[in-house]
Amino acid sequence: MQWLLDAGVVGVRVILPFYAAVIVYAIFASMRRHRRPQKPLLTLHNLDTGEKIPVLFWENSIGRSRGSDITVEDPSVSRNHCVLMRRQEGWMITDVGSKSGTFVNGERVSSNASQAGKGFINSLIQDTKENINKGLHAVDDTTKSRTKVLIDDEICVGSTYFAVERGDEYDGEVSPSRFLRKISNKPSMKQYKLMVLITIFHILMAVEATWDYYDNDYMPFVYCGAFVAVSWTVFFISTIVLKRINFELEALALFLTGLGLMLQVRQSDKMAIVHIVTAVAGIVGFMIIVKLLEKPDWVQRFRFWGMLAAIGLLGLNLVFGSVQYGAANWISLGGISIQPSEVVKILYIYIGAGTLDALMTRRNKIEFIIFSAICVGELALMGDFGTALIFFATFLFVAFMRSGDLKTVLLALGTAGVGGALIVRLKPYIAKRFSVVGHSLEDPNDVGFQMSRVLTYMASGGLFGVGIGNGFLKYLFASESDLVFGIVCEELGMIVGYILIGAILLLAVYSKDIATRSRSTFYSISACCAAGLLIVQTALNVLGATDILPMTGVTFPFVSAGGSSMIACWGLLAFIKAADERTYSQKRA
Amino acid sequence: MKRTLRRSMMVMVVAVLIVGGVGYLSYRVVTEHNTWINMSYNNHISSDGGLTRAGTITDRNGVVLAKSTNGERVYNENESIRRGLLHVVGDDTVNIGTSMQSLYRMNLTGYSFVWGLGLPTSLKGNCDMKLTVDADVCSTVYDSFDGRKGACIVYNYETGEILCDVSTPSYDPNAPPEINEENQESYEGVYVDNVVGSSYTPGSVFKLVTTAAALKYIDDIETKEWYCEGVKKIGGDDETSNVHCNDGEAHGYETLSDALGNSCNIVFAEIAEELGPEKMTEVAEEMGINANFSVGDITVKKGHYDVSKATPNQLAWSGVGQYTDLVNPMQMAIICSAIANDGKPVLPYLIDSDTSLLTKVGITTGGGKGSQMMEASVAQTIAKMMRNNVTNFYGEGSFPSGLEVAAKTGTGEITLSNDDGKSNKNNAWIVGYCQNDDFPLAFAVVVTDVDGYGSTYAQPIASTALQACMSSIQK
Repeated sequence: MQWLLDAGVVGVRVILPFYAAVIVYAIFASMRRHRRPQKPLLTLHNLDTGEKIPVLFWENSIGRSRGSDITVEDPSVSRNHCVLMRRQEGWMITDVGSKSGTFVNGERVSSNASQAGKGFINSLIQDTKENINKGLHAVDDTTKSRTKVLIDDEICVGSTYFAVERGDEYDGEVSPSRFLRKISNKPSMKQYKLMVLITIFHILMAVEATWDYYDNDYMPFVYCGAFVAVSWTVFFISTIVLKRINFELEALALFLTGLGLMLQVRQSDKMAIVHIVTAVAGIVGFMIIVKLLEKPDWVQRFRFWGMLAAIGLLGLNLVFGSVQYGAANWISLGGISIQPSEVVKILYIYIGAGTLDALMTRRNKIEFIIFSAICVGELALMGDFGTALIFFATFLFVAFMRSGDLKTVLLALGTAGVGGALIVRLKPYIAKRFSVVGHSLEDPNDVGFQMSRVLTYMASGGLFGVGIGNGFLKYLFASESDLVFGIVCEELGMIVGYILIGAILLLAVYSKDIATRSRSTFYSISACCAAGLLIVQTALNVLGATDILPMTGVTFPFVSAGGSSMIACWGLLAFIKAADERTYSQKRA
Repeated sequence: MKRTLRRSMMVMVVAVLIVGGVGYLSYRVVTEHNTWINMSYNNHISSDGGLTRAGTITDRNGVVLAKSTNGERVYNENESIRRGLLHVVGDDTVNIGTSMQSLYRMNLTGYSFVWGLGLPTSLKGNCDMKLTVDADVCSTVYDSFDGRKGACIVYNYETGEILCDVSTPSYDPNAPPEINEENQESYEGVYVDNVVGSSYTPGSVFKLVTTAAALKYIDDIETKEWYCEGVKKIGGDDETSNVHCNDGEAHGYETLSDALGNSCNIVFAEIAEELGPEKMTEVAEEMGINANFSVGDITVKKGHYDVSKATPNQLAWSGVGQYTDLVNPMQMAIICSAIANDGKPVLPYLIDSDTSLLTKVGITTGGGKGSQMMEASVAQTIAKMMRNNVTNFYGEGSFPSGLEVAAKTGTGEITLSNDDGKSNKNNAWIVGYCQNDDFPLAFAVVVTDVDGYGSTYAQPIASTALQACMSSIQK
């Protein structure tokens, strides 16, 4: 009879990887559905040449520069002349500091660069005063320094005249991006079915954790039940209360979070509870951020307070931070350790991103550079290697997405290289981490301790794992966060490990492909940065634990044991959610 | 927005880099998982999860060498068997890399790449292992080493089954030693199976190779006569160019066969000089001195014959198994197997091919025919000469009667002996095989660090081993 029971256990182990693959496929298949077809939103009719130009995006730059969305071959047009954008209120145009000005029906439109004349410092002081006066009240600035544009209006840039016409006036072809090529209006799977699939997966994991452990302990079902309740609550709030039609991103995150939880159930009860609690906190944060990001111009209003909060949090950290595991990046609050830097990285993306017309002002650039410099200074004082690395990645993503300047990226990489060399010199324990890469097995009882065990136990798990709770990696210090990839491979098998990496990477592909379909560059930039950060974290976690990169103590998004990193991951996901135009524009009937 | 789209490619670039990193990880998993699994700290195999649930290892007669009962790994109750087969069976650790319990620990514990180490015991099937060795033979041979260091290999040159594989120094797997600074000298090389993992200066046993070269290239060799005065200058005129026979003994007029029996250094030195480095190297390599042999998955340590930079005098010494020559006991036994099989050896193996290992995938049991090492006629001539050694020089009585042993002794001198001829760091050798078809045994014995000859130290052990193997076959 024993063999029959054992065969059942092994059966569940074999089913889980394939089931996980089905879930990840279903989630991403569903993401490409329920989209509007890619067709021009407006047509600009060049009255001189008769050429019809499709307006494809929610925000379009017009100028002489080749990188403009609408390029005008006219010497009297500035390189970046004006921005034509769509908001819920309708189409608007704003001048971004052109020489010859922009006119709608013969009237000059206001320029958002008008403050430039007052001098940067003065305008900054004035702006600060204004911000403090307004406080945190949400003020809608959508129509500030912008002019509405209606169908049949006439726009004049330089000496070129355009008539604004409907999108279907354009009769050329528009080629959609790869991921969204085969779009259709029906979802491949109803969202509740997706949730049912995920819930069954988590229950199966609970079954395995109970059955495979040879122990009459049914706690896995309790944790699983609690998490299922959380998942479905989120689902009902999203679909019934908020009437959103898309739930794939949350579904993916819930899938990963639940998977991480069910691994912890057999590792540490306390961590399992923390995992659920921080996941709930993360989900609440996620919902708040998604709501806050609803209007791209609203977002601009809170930028000032965001910067203050970021600098302040890092400062607090410096003053009150306690040294844990060799780095002063933790603050203890009533027995719970949190890393403020996790919140700051979200704020950083938020501040770095912006609407297209805002990004084109000098003000915005200078503010961003000063803000970055202050953050870098504070981080340097903190001296935590993992945090610095993550921040560096964030900076790189944001800076590049904003400016597209390869020189900036190279300069940043060069500086980081010098800084890194300095750190390695000053802190020998970090140098050790570098030198051990690729040689962990040669020194498995000292510097290679964690990595060598990850490799060994990973291979011991084979393709289908030794079963939840039967692993040995879980007994290692900090394995529930830093070495979680090893635990996944040991207990669930390497197939599941690879599927998890794949799921996060697909998230990046998805974010990139919706970049032009989001409602503002703010969303595109923040979503790409968030996705970039998630994949970088995944890579640092996976490759750091497996002897290919230095170990940095970065977590695997959603799967690693809960804490401030769990909350931060949900926060990052909010940016991607907000970038999906279906989030705000389509509602359930 | 177009610019943003272009810049968003950065995310894809990073994603591609990550895919590359994960690809490299996969490559390492595929190529290195055996090493990873076998790390001594792996609790799946080394604590309560592994060896203590591993399959049973038995000898050819079903004598249990190691088994797991009640969460413990238990070895044979006889200490001589435990010590004698330590290097074949292994202990709880993976220190002895070539032992079955190290090399096949994953298989014994039911490991496979697909299932990892996670299969429940009831589904693992049979992970037992049956070896070709005879426990009684090995314990007898171990005892006959009497504390000396060395190695003894006896295998069936018709089937390839290894009957005896003993390496000393050894220890009791039930009480593995704590090796520290004080005792490390007496345990030096204790984790190496000298049969496969060590190579030694061969001394006169290398004359078999020189003989093969002479038979191949010198036309009138079988009728040719030499005159030995005990000392001869080769490659120079001063004292340092002296090549001398053992104790400066003068052998007078000799044929090649006599010279092999007398183990006359001067004759073989002259042959090496006459043939020159190319032909000597060619024949040595044909016989596999510089080649890799393997016993299943165990790689046998390479021998060494390199006269590319040798002076004429050094070339001469290389022909008598000195200079930088090195050979391995297993390799010598395989050469004897070739001599017994008309030039084409049967290769040895340790794992009985009838065993039903569930996870046999990935195991190479070994055995089978090797490549031709010498012409059949050369092999037959050497066979006659080796038999002549026993009947006319060593004495038939040195070996169990009825085996018709053909052999060659040797004394590898670690520091070239002076004219007064003594060195207490000799390797005492004997290699050979039995010409009686009922007992097709090829053997090689080496005893190291002794002050004496192959005939004094190695030959009695070989005799004991052959006697034991004979009774094993008769069982």
